[in-house]
Amino acid sequence: MLNSAATDVSAANGGTEATAAGPPMLAVRGLTVEFAAMAGAAVTAVRDFDLTIQPGEIFGLVGESGAGKTTLARALLRLPPEPGRIAAGEIRLAGRNLMELNETEMQRLRGRDLSMIVPNPRAELNPLLTVGEQIATMTRVHLRVPSREARRMALDMLRAVQIPDPERRMGAFPHEMSGGMAQRIVIAIALICSPKFIVSDDATSGLDVTVQAQILELLRRLVLDRGSAMLFITRDIGITAHFCDRVAVMYDGEVMELAAREDFFFRPRHPYTVMLMAAFSHNQRLRRMWSRPEALPGAAEPAGACRYVARCPLAQDRCRAEHPALRELALGHFARCHFPVRP
Amino acid sequence: MTPLLEVRQLTKRFPIAGSRSVVQAVNGISFTLAPGETLGLVGESGSGKTTVGRCILGLTDISDGSIAFNGADLSLTRRQKPASLRGQVQIVFQEPADALDPRMRIGAAVEEPLLALGTPRDERRARAAEAVGFVGLDHRVLRLYPAELSAGQQQRVGIARAMITRPKLLVLDEPTSALDPTARADIIELLVRLQKQFGTAYLFISHDLSTVRFISHRVAVMYLGMIVEQGDAAAVFAQPRHPYSVGLLSSVLLPNPHLRRASSISLSGEIPSPINLPSGCYLASRCPFAADACRARVPPAEELGGGHLVHCIRHEDVAQTERTADTFDRFQEEAERILSVGAPAPA
Amino acid sequence: MRGLLPFLGQRMLFILPQLFGILLVSFFLIKSIPGDPAVLMLGPTATGDAVAALRTKLGLDHALPMQFWYFLVDLVHGDLGTSWQTTRPVLEDLLQRFPATLELVTFGLLLAILVGVPFGVASASHERGWLGRIANAYGLTAGALPDFWLALVLIFVFYTILQVVPAPLGRIDFAVLPPPTVTGFLTVDSLLAGDWAAFASAASHLCLPVLTLGLVNAGPILKMTQSTVERMLHSDYSRYEVLSGLPRGMVVRHALRNALPSIITIISVLYGYLLGGAVLVEIVFSWGGAGQYAVQGVLNSDIYPVLGFVLLSAIFSLFVYLAVDILYFAIDPRIGR
Repeated sequence: MLNSAATDVSAANGGTEATAAGPPMLAVRGLTVEFAAMAGAAVTAVRDFDLTIQPGEIFGLVGESGAGKTTLARALLRLPPEPGRIAAGEIRLAGRNLMELNETEMQRLRGRDLSMIVPNPRAELNPLLTVGEQIATMTRVHLRVPSREARRMALDMLRAVQIPDPERRMGAFPHEMSGGMAQRIVIAIALICSPKFIVSDDATSGLDVTVQAQILELLRRLVLDRGSAMLFITRDIGITAHFCDRVAVMYDGEVMELAAREDFFFRPRHPYTVMLMAAFSHNQRLRRMWSRPEALPGAAEPAGACRYVARCPLAQDRCRAEHPALRELALGHFARCHFPVRP
Repeated sequence: MTPLLEVRQLTKRFPIAGSRSVVQAVNGISFTLAPGETLGLVGESGSGKTTVGRCILGLTDISDGSIAFNGADLSLTRRQKPASLRGQVQIVFQEPADALDPRMRIGAAVEEPLLALGTPRDERRARAAEAVGFVGLDHRVLRLYPAELSAGQQQRVGIARAMITRPKLLVLDEPTSALDPTARADIIELLVRLQKQFGTAYLFISHDLSTVRFISHRVAVMYLGMIVEQGDAAAVFAQPRHPYSVGLLSSVLLPNPHLRRASSISLSGEIPSPINLPSGCYLASRCPFAADACRARVPPAEELGGGHLVHCIRHEDVAQTERTADTFDRFQEEAERILSVGAPAPA
Repeated sequence: MRGLLPFLGQRMLFILPQLFGILLVSFFLIKSIPGDPAVLMLGPTATGDAVAALRTKLGLDHALPMQFWYFLVDLVHGDLGTSWQTTRPVLEDLLQRFPATLELVTFGLLLAILVGVPFGVASASHERGWLGRIANAYGLTAGALPDFWLALVLIFVFYTILQVVPAPLGRIDFAVLPPPTVTGFLTVDSLLAGDWAAFASAASHLCLPVLTLGLVNAGPILKMTQSTVERMLHSDYSRYEVLSGLPRGMVVRHALRNALPSIITIISVLYGYLLGGAVLVEIVFSWGGAGQYAVQGVLNSDIYPVLGFVLLSAIFSLFVYLAVDILYFAIDPRIGR
């Protein structure tokens, strides 16, 4: 491991606001997920990934498609997409090492202590069960409450996610709901057991903007009220600027930059972060400055190089020879770059 | 200048099988589009914006109203249309992967629109090679299959295919919403360049306001099949006068923690179903300004000067409440300042 | 929102036209089979005059559409014609034989479901395990086994060698008095009559043919269950149930419920098909069922038994499909509302 020294730094520092004496809510170290390729070497989708999230924190993880976001999200629940497998690493939830649990213990933990919010909610709900049943099932299974109590809790939860006319909606089927309503149901399912940690994978991507704003606000309040913490994975960097406490950007399975929100957006250090922000500004001069033209597929990158070297306008010989570690450049501000912006 | 496209009172109703109700997808909208101009048609899902695009292309027949293109009636069926109109209006779809036949080489796909025009084979080849060049792709992609390209490159192919007939009007139906931010910015840049080069007019249909802001000369905001507000992009974005436009704009999350349009106007709930619409203003159920008069009848268009039209009887109250400058402009200024630091020396 | 009744009413509307269509097609098809019943009935020594007279008597000298019309008129009066082979009204024959086939097919299919569905589910939820492989192998083998051959093997093993079942001759021992007919199912009727000896005899006669049909037809049910449940387990909502920590058993149960429409469809298709498709098994076990009766009719240009069989099978199939529609309606909230 090239960056083991840096790993320790990041793990030790955790969040900038990390004041609690207890263990972080989620601590990931060296997580690596591989996909066995049909021929030849395995493809690594998540590389030696470190992440520490404190209680009450909403952590934003930004990445473009192919960055390994979904693989990471599902690997945190130890269910990476087929045929991926966790090749190395440690996942600690409130101090408990998930990699040491057996499958039954893991299953009991999912949805109860560690739950997930998924995109495209209409497909993620069982079409044959009423949404009330689907929410109630969670408490019946995980908290072993009797059916009547489970129904009552489900109804309360529907109120909490601000579904209008909740009594009637309990008996509704997923196909009778709009995307925004279905997304609220998925949030209700994920939060009803008051999990310690929530992984949200592109949860608002299919929603309209006015609905998205409502859902984000709701989600933030529910997570904080319950003393949970959340990893909010998205490809929309704009959401993280308003919704997350700390933000990291992911590229090709690695964290490229990680900082508190204001640092991240006002003092970006990694060329990839800067390039992403320039893309949002639609400012042609900035975009020219920070990007290089997209290569035709099949362009090979040198082994052991920085993963971003082919697209980086700042790349030098060292970037092609040596894979950079995630370094702490300022308090709580990490970047994986030999020649960071604003040195 | 005479408009290239003139849409008047366009209405489209879809009957629902097995019942007497209809989906009122588009409810009497009017707008014009000048040559070489971009009109951003903004709205959320269910607003009818895609239906408008399909009506203009003749992919759907219209229930009422008229669509004139260079003086010719576009609402006629394909067979009735004059041959000179062929290839003049083209479309680019949202999902580039779905719009391309996975078993057809890029070259064949790009030259396909020329088949309808009866262009000879050699010329088709040459034009296809030229078209992929215009969209910034290497001519080698002509021999590849869609699956071998990234989503951004596929969308470039979609644009090349639409531009190969040198249309005067390009309908862009959410061309960037399936793309990553970088690819999205690339496509927008490409569209701006092509417009400069060929003078094509764009009808840019999108729910993504930040993209619309940067590509459009004028915008029209749609809600439940109605254009509730339209005008110059800068004016509408800086001083929206319709509560829905305000709500829409304040929901935009720009990547700058300080720039969030703090609005006292917030919309509750979601778009109601376009079946059996209420009699008054369609927004009344979600609007904090709604008064009894709003529920009585659909508000008429009011001209605010400079072609800025708004369908709201309380637009003056809206203007009183909302005194904000264009956040998008401020965002660009800030981005310029933040992102210029440590720039690499020009190569 | 619509309810079950209009949904069913819509379905019922189509039943009569469907039956008419089926009869029309089968009438003309059977008539197009070469062979003159009059010649067959009178034997090779008959004179031309006698044959012509008989043809007139049978109505065979009319044009085909007229013959069909007469058939329909008789049908409306409850007369399905007479079989010249048994010289009895076809309706009587069928009322006796159809339940025999139905009993055989119903129990055979029940066995097939009991084997096919659990194995299918098990193999789908342990895709790469040994159970999945066994299920695959079974699905292939069952599809390739001719049922009459399997019947002969079973007879050889269980009757000839082990002698644990009675001889493959009919539905009940000759020495045992059949119970009074209520449903036509000997097992059910004997239970209703409280006749245990008859029940034991009928059940033991049922064993081998039911085993044959069950084992062979479990194949398609197993394959269908396996593939559909597997698809459902790979769906987004099953994956989300797993991600939400629901127990494996519950996830599989939900997947099975989503797969049920496909499984019910294949079962209903098999049910209709087996009425005629079990004929080889009926012959091997001298079952005296309706399939056997119809095949005799085809071979001897005895048209009315065939048409009667087609009519009854069609009515039965249509009611099976109606039941399937009701089941779909009960299972899937998205249908018909």
